[in-house]
Amino acid sequence: MDFFTSLDISSSAMSAERTRMNLISSNLANANSTRSVDGGGPYKRKDAVFTATPLAGSFSNAMNQANRGLARVDVTGIVEDSTSPRIQYDPTHPDADAKGYVSLPNVNVIEEMADMISATRTYEANVTAAQAAKSMALKTLELGR
Amino acid sequence: MSQNGIFDTTINLLGKSLDLRAQNHNRISANIANAETPGYTPTTLSFEKELQGALRSKGEATPSVTHPRHISLKGDAGSLDLVQGSVVEAPAESPGLDGNGVELENEMGKMVQNQIMYNADVQFLSKKFAALTLAIKGSF
Repeated sequence: MDFFTSLDISSSAMSAERTRMNLISSNLANANSTRSVDGGGPYKRKDAVFTATPLAGSFSNAMNQANRGLARVDVTGIVEDSTSPRIQYDPTHPDADAKGYVSLPNVNVIEEMADMISATRTYEANVTAAQAAKSMALKTLELGR
Repeated sequence: MSQNGIFDTTINLLGKSLDLRAQNHNRISANIANAETPGYTPTTLSFEKELQGALRSKGEATPSVTHPRHISLKGDAGSLDLVQGSVVEAPAESPGLDGNGVELENEMGKMVQNQIMYNADVQFLSKKFAALTLAIKGSF
């Protein structure tokens, strides 16, 4: 039992949210990319997979009653959204097919913006939790002053 | 007369309370960290009732000294030390579509409450020690 456990958990979440934020940036930046480097057609929306990992890394942690059930969060994978691309009629586009249709990435800009707000708020909540842990730990050091 | 020397039950109680609130903070941090993890169910540490019970039944649960060679447990707070609290699952009333039961506002509220109570405990403990110092030295 200590406040470093709490800081560990909060920082794992901050790092996970940052990864998600990077993916959202990537999705927004490529909202109109019709080509990928490997020639696989338009860009596909990417999303992070969050997994709650129990804090039982070390023996002492596993034996510690107080830490039972505590979980940090890890990004265990980045998955591509396999929904079909947006189709737009634009015969002048260099990537238009024979009928004049262009396949655009399956990125919905509004959804990405909403995700971005959610990621920001969760990140802020974790910063607040870390700050609370820090202030509580420092308060304890004032005991007996 | 307390067997605990100059440290009374209140100091033990405040110490235990600090310990449990620190654990509860870890738990709330984990809930906030997993606010976006699919299928996660938040947990909370429930200890108030147990602590109250331990305080009321003081003396009852402490092993009695029936032999001169028994080593006595310190003070009245024998059963206080045994309070561990219990981890209970506290999912939101309407979990999201991904099965996540964390309500961020709820957790933030619990965290602030826990933090204020922790700070109050520290302050009480400080005052208790200050009073002891005053009794020993006659001045601060």
